[in-house]
Amino acid sequence: MARDWQPDFEQLVNEHQSMVFSLALRMAGDRGLAEEIAQDVFLALDNSLRKIESPLHALAWLRRVTMSRSADALRRRKVRAMDLWVEVDEHHGAQVEEHSSPLATRLERLLATLPETQRAALVLRYQEDMTPAEIAEALDAPLATVKSHLQRGLKLLRSKATCQLREYIRGV
Amino acid sequence: MDDFEQELRQAMLRRPAPPRLKQKILEHRKRQNTEHVHARLLMWQRLAASIVLAAMAGGAYLWHNAEEHRKGEEARQQVLTALRITSHALKQMNQQLAEHSRNAE
Repeated sequence: MARDWQPDFEQLVNEHQSMVFSLALRMAGDRGLAEEIAQDVFLALDNSLRKIESPLHALAWLRRVTMSRSADALRRRKVRAMDLWVEVDEHHGAQVEEHSSPLATRLERLLATLPETQRAALVLRYQEDMTPAEIAEALDAPLATVKSHLQRGLKLLRSKATCQLREYIRGV
Repeated sequence: MDDFEQELRQAMLRRPAPPRLKQKILEHRKRQNTEHVHARLLMWQRLAASIVLAAMAGGAYLWHNAEEHRKGEEARQQVLTALRITSHALKQMNQQLAEHSRNAE
């Protein structure tokens, strides 16, 4: 069956590079590693381009593969999120500060201290504005598990923010 | 969604990708495609070399068989010639013996 939509690799890179890079950065916590993951994801997309059927399929595919490659990269490095963010502060702090407010930077640091599964659910929920069902599909996890990760992650983040960011946030 | 979640959403806005990311991806892709073309070319070359080698081996086998057959045929012809000569000699000898017997009688 013929498809109306023909994927254009360069256009897909243009449209989604920011999304892929941000997901990888928030999961891996390191700009260099996030760039590597983004490159890896787009090269994998190039190899699977024939299977992509629509722009929405491309978006979902990129989110799923980015999360999976980020998890693989984290497992390979076996570095705790906190350590990663120390590295970010040392090497890339200026770049991070450049684009975000002090509160955003602090919230991201706190987010990086959460367990990987909770972080993944929260990143997809609040960066990509995805529903729990969409997150479950992207992470290939049961819906109940995703809901639990979201609730626990948010609770943990809120309690950490209560201790550390009281002066910035009204709702904690 | 409460204030904290709103703050979180604000903090989690997408970051701009590094300026050279797209260029790096495209360069990497080009390199990978070139490697694929080379790998494919190498595979075809190996396949062609294998076919040539197989054809040569098959040809050599057939030539060897034909040569053996030709030699066998040649040897058979020689044996037949030798048998014909022997038969002729025996026939002559028989005739002489028969003639000799008749003379003696």
